[in-house]
Amino acid sequence: MSVEGVAHIFGRVLEVGDVQADADFFVLGGDSLLATRVLSAVARDYGVELTFDDFAFSPTPAALAARIASVR
Amino acid sequence: MNRVVVIGAGLAGLTAAADLRHAGVDVIVLEARDRVGGRTHGVEVAPGAWIDGGAAYLGDRHTDLAKMIADLGLKTTPTTMEGRSSFVLGPERIVREGRFPPLNAVALGELFDGLDDLVRRVRPQAPWQSDIPDDETAADWAVRTLTHPDARTFFPLFLGEMMAADPADVSVLHMAFYLSSGGGLRYLNAFEGGAQDSRVDGGAHQLCERLAAELGGDAVRLDSPVHAVEQTTGPVTVHAGGSAYACDAVVVAVPPALADEITYQPGPVARRTTGRTAPGRAVKVHLIYPEPLWREQGLSGWSVNAAGPLLSTVDDSPVGGGAGVLTGFVTGRAATRYAALTPEEQRREAIAQASAIFPGLPAPTGFHVTNWVRETYSRGCYAALFGPGDWRVLGPRLSTPDGRIHWAGAETSTEFFGLMEGAIRSGHRAAARILAHTEPSRNQQPPLSS
Ligand SMILES: Cc1cc2nc3c(=O)[nH]c(=O)nc-3n(C[C@H](O)[C@H](O)[C@H](O)COP(=O)(O)OP(=O)(O)OC[C@H]3O[C@@H](n4cnc5c(N)ncnc54)[C@H](O)[C@@H]3O)c2cc1C
Repeated sequence: MSVEGVAHIFGRVLEVGDVQADADFFVLGGDSLLATRVLSAVARDYGVELTFDDFAFSPTPAALAARIASVR
Repeated sequence: MNRVVVIGAGLAGLTAAADLRHAGVDVIVLEARDRVGGRTHGVEVAPGAWIDGGAAYLGDRHTDLAKMIADLGLKTTPTTMEGRSSFVLGPERIVREGRFPPLNAVALGELFDGLDDLVRRVRPQAPWQSDIPDDETAADWAVRTLTHPDARTFFPLFLGEMMAADPADVSVLHMAFYLSSGGGLRYLNAFEGGAQDSRVDGGAHQLCERLAAELGGDAVRLDSPVHAVEQTTGPVTVHAGGSAYACDAVVVAVPPALADEITYQPGPVARRTTGRTAPGRAVKVHLIYPEPLWREQGLSGWSVNAAGPLLSTVDDSPVGGGAGVLTGFVTGRAATRYAALTPEEQRREAIAQASAIFPGLPAPTGFHVTNWVRETYSRGCYAALFGPGDWRVLGPRLSTPDGRIHWAGAETSTEFFGLMEGAIRSGHRAAARILAHTEPSRNQQPPLSS
């Protein structure tokens, strides 16, 4: 289930525990440097290369998972 | 302990001198240049408006620096980063929100993943014990691990900005150590909330000027390059020019390459550099305008430019108005080339580039180059760069006294290595170690600053 998978990536990169499906990456303390690390993990795990703007418009696990599904 | 000679009137030496004086020790500071401050240096660009030709930025984790700023009656001013950034990383100029470069985000993520992994593996208090092979330069590491061209484009720019290093000049272990020592990748990279959060209002050079003034009288001797230190059974003798100074202990607070040029008798003392140690290379360029004109176009003044010479620019305008100051950083290989140009060529290239980054920007009303590559008494700016194998050789004895010779300086601190904070911590550490071997002084002097 990729919402959980993306939430797990958020948690690892942000070094926080459980991340909710609708939690905003930037509100949780993320910045553009860490966002690139989420995108590299997404590319590794799902084989999808997203842009920084994709991420900026979909900064929650639920939204990003939907974005991944739409381009897969 | 009656008298200590401190060699070098930078932040490290003057911090040590202030602590020793505070404890009632008679201190003399010998400084090679005709000014105090070392790698902090103020330039007056308009009446009463000073800019930092050397060190400028600080953040909330620089706690000893913050205390010094407050104790000396100085203030900080926040760096400003409002508006869009400009990037010239390929054939065209791109303007966008935020400081994130318009490069492939996945490629940058791989770069930062790799750096993050190194930072986790390094042991900042004892880098030579890290599980990171110390036979590689950062350039070797980049070739081996970075596959995407955008990551390869950005890495040298990033390292230049962070360490004024060319990737070939620094070991991958030292890069990892430096990033960890300074607070990690994010902290070092950030302006607001990070290591570039603020500046000393009016210039960081004031720290050293005020410390020297509080030492007072003729405690600080300028134009006194030290060339020899003799430890005999009696006093230690420090030789500078034709003068000799007898003392009970010495603090050597000069950059590593210069510490190694002093003759120590009887030797040997632990060396401070090896053949692999390289100088960081930086030139700071300041373009002065009547106002921060780029703000009128909604631009922050922040730019990144792959071709150089100004690899990055930042808005360092004084808060109260009165001038617009655009600071350009020329680092690493670009600094070697730029430093060798004539003043006219330097000026022409910098101004041409500024108007390519900020179209419509008029010619500056003032132009200043602070060329650290040429500074005889720095030899490594921002700091010295340890090459492959250096940490194993130099690390274990970085801050261990050799008899009555104590070592200080930004490159002897494993905390905030190479930064103002590291220099200050090293000065406190050296003074504390000397005082720990001292009987309580009978004639305590009043504190320097109340
Ligand atoms: C361009 C530039 C930008 C920087 N930016 C930042 C920044 O933003 N933030 C930050 O925290 N740090 C920054 N740094 C690093 C910071 O400036 C240094 O880490 C710090 O100032 C070093 O202090 P120090 O006392 O160890 O050495 P120095 O400041 O180098 O002081 C050593 C002193 O010893 C003197 N000396 C040398 N040889 C002899 C001799 N034989 N006899 C007598 N005296 C001698 C020198 O003249 C000098 O005054 C920057 C440095 C540069 C150059």
